[in-house]
Amino acid sequence: MATAHLETTLAPEKIAAMYLQYEVEQFYTHEAALLDHQRFEEWVDLFTDDTTYFMPIRRTVPRRNLSREFTQPGEMAFFDDDKATLVGRVQKLGTGTAWAEDPPSRTRHLVTNVRIVEDLGTQLTVETCFHLYRTRLKSEIDEWIGRREDVLRRTEEGFRIARRDIYLDQTVLLSQNLSNFF
Amino acid sequence: MTIEAPGTTAYLESLVDVATGELDRRIFSDEEIFDLEMKHIFGRAWLFLCHETQIPKKGDFFEAPMGKDNVLVVRQRDRSIKALLNTCTHRGNAVCRAEEGNVRNFMCTYHGWTFGLDGELVGVPGMSDFYRDELDRSKHPLRKVAQLDTYKGFVFATMDPQAPPLQEFLGRTGRIAIDLLAERGDIEARPGVQKFTLNCNWKFTADNAFDYYHPQITHISAQAVGMIPSADVNDTGGAKTDEGKALGVQRLPTDLDTLVALGEYGHAISGPSLDSMLRTLPPEMHELVTWRRNPGPLAALGPVGSRFAGHPHLFPTAWFTMDAQISLRVPRSAGVTEVWWFSFKDRNESPEEQKAQLGRQIHSFGPAGFLEQEDGENWSQSTAQTRGGASRDIPQLLKMGLGRGKIIHEDGVARIEAPVNEHAQLWTYLSWLQWVKGTDWDELRSATTPGDYI
Repeated sequence: MATAHLETTLAPEKIAAMYLQYEVEQFYTHEAALLDHQRFEEWVDLFTDDTTYFMPIRRTVPRRNLSREFTQPGEMAFFDDDKATLVGRVQKLGTGTAWAEDPPSRTRHLVTNVRIVEDLGTQLTVETCFHLYRTRLKSEIDEWIGRREDVLRRTEEGFRIARRDIYLDQTVLLSQNLSNFF
Repeated sequence: MTIEAPGTTAYLESLVDVATGELDRRIFSDEEIFDLEMKHIFGRAWLFLCHETQIPKKGDFFEAPMGKDNVLVVRQRDRSIKALLNTCTHRGNAVCRAEEGNVRNFMCTYHGWTFGLDGELVGVPGMSDFYRDELDRSKHPLRKVAQLDTYKGFVFATMDPQAPPLQEFLGRTGRIAIDLLAERGDIEARPGVQKFTLNCNWKFTADNAFDYYHPQITHISAQAVGMIPSADVNDTGGAKTDEGKALGVQRLPTDLDTLVALGEYGHAISGPSLDSMLRTLPPEMHELVTWRRNPGPLAALGPVGSRFAGHPHLFPTAWFTMDAQISLRVPRSAGVTEVWWFSFKDRNESPEEQKAQLGRQIHSFGPAGFLEQEDGENWSQSTAQTRGGASRDIPQLLKMGLGRGKIIHEDGVARIEAPVNEHAQLWTYLSWLQWVKGTDWDELRSATTPGDYI
């Protein structure tokens, strides 16, 4: 009954928008599950061949210098990867000798506040917030909260990530490595 | 075994045995030792603060650590550089709470005392009404470091007015360390210092700069995906995985031809010789090291200095990589160390080469680097195991090549030519001992002047 009610009162474009939101959220839920189940080869397939994966350095600056808070592409960063580098990271994890991830860490990627900020038809710009919770070895806990800005490209296989910018809510990293994906 | 009273010279001397290549693991976790290090090493040594190009405009500042002190390195109106303790002379609050930026002055947000870029106290709220004009502002500037100097754009400071001049502290080996970066060309710091936190003692990070024994195991996964080269030789010495499989250890192709330099005050260089590096690198990457044979760099480095392609390390905490980066290790406590990566480029290089180098810098080191993820793991676990009552009684071993290090003195450099060894690490701890004993400068220099063998 509720569905019938929606169809009679909502304009088609609103239903389309809801469906798009649903598709995008499903994509991110699927992506997070791949990461948390350590299915990295499948995860890296979600990126286009011309993708960029970028995490700038954030700095504590005076409020009036806020334009300098994040480093820019072409400057130093924590991640500035193309597809080949991302695949290299996945291959490294698969060698069985990447000691920082053996024993493997335990991660949970919580993706929320999904906002489609631009829809160009062939591709979307989507902002999300994330909480990556990780435990390592016996008692190490790391948490990263931040914002991602993605360009999702529509392909025959579904969405593919053509750009990911990751903005952490930390300046001095409080963890001893970034051996996980965001 | 005699147990000496902690803190005494005899006790400290019992911690480092150069003759046997054994260290007492207590030096990696005892808070009393850490306090001595803060006082006698970080309170006296010339410490790297930043590069001039990080603060190009007047009012630009960068906050740098000096032991447990925080100093603001500030570009002055006359273009000179000063380093000021970041603590208000009134009641101690930090006068600046940002890591870097640009200011006209520093105002303490507690009571509003305001200091000029040069540290002079220029404003005191209530000067007339509350202080009745009885406060002598000239007596309460921000305190400065005891000495500040630069070497080819690299800014250093010391808290000890008695410290020898920077160039003398660096000595030939220390200057070569910096020249191996500074002489590349027109050097500029790339924006963005990577900073991250390790649960380890700082000395593990320092001695690892010289350790060419670990890449073949620690970085085997990076080797497997082509990040670092490997040779077709296997000398596993019986090493096997948990499942009993041979690891297929592939050493670095340079490992039988390495060069070590030992310098006064504990500076050192260790790693591949230039010749072995050239035999290893693909021809398209030779420019990474061949620039040092150009006339300008060669004149600065000299015939010996130009032959090093390994890792220079300035005592106590600044490691210079082969690819224009400095890893500064910042001790926060006996068990916590921050790593700060400074990265540079040569303004004269093509945009393509600058971009390629940026990629190598980001992908090799730092918390997400293909290499350093594994390093941090070793250092933190090694530190943790020095806390066990039984574990800490097991000596730390630096026996590789012990006693075989024949030191050749030439062109002001004390060098050793040998396969992979632990000479530079042992040199670091030999020097460390002299520092923590509080040895005066003359004696410190003489006790850390290389002899004929190590």
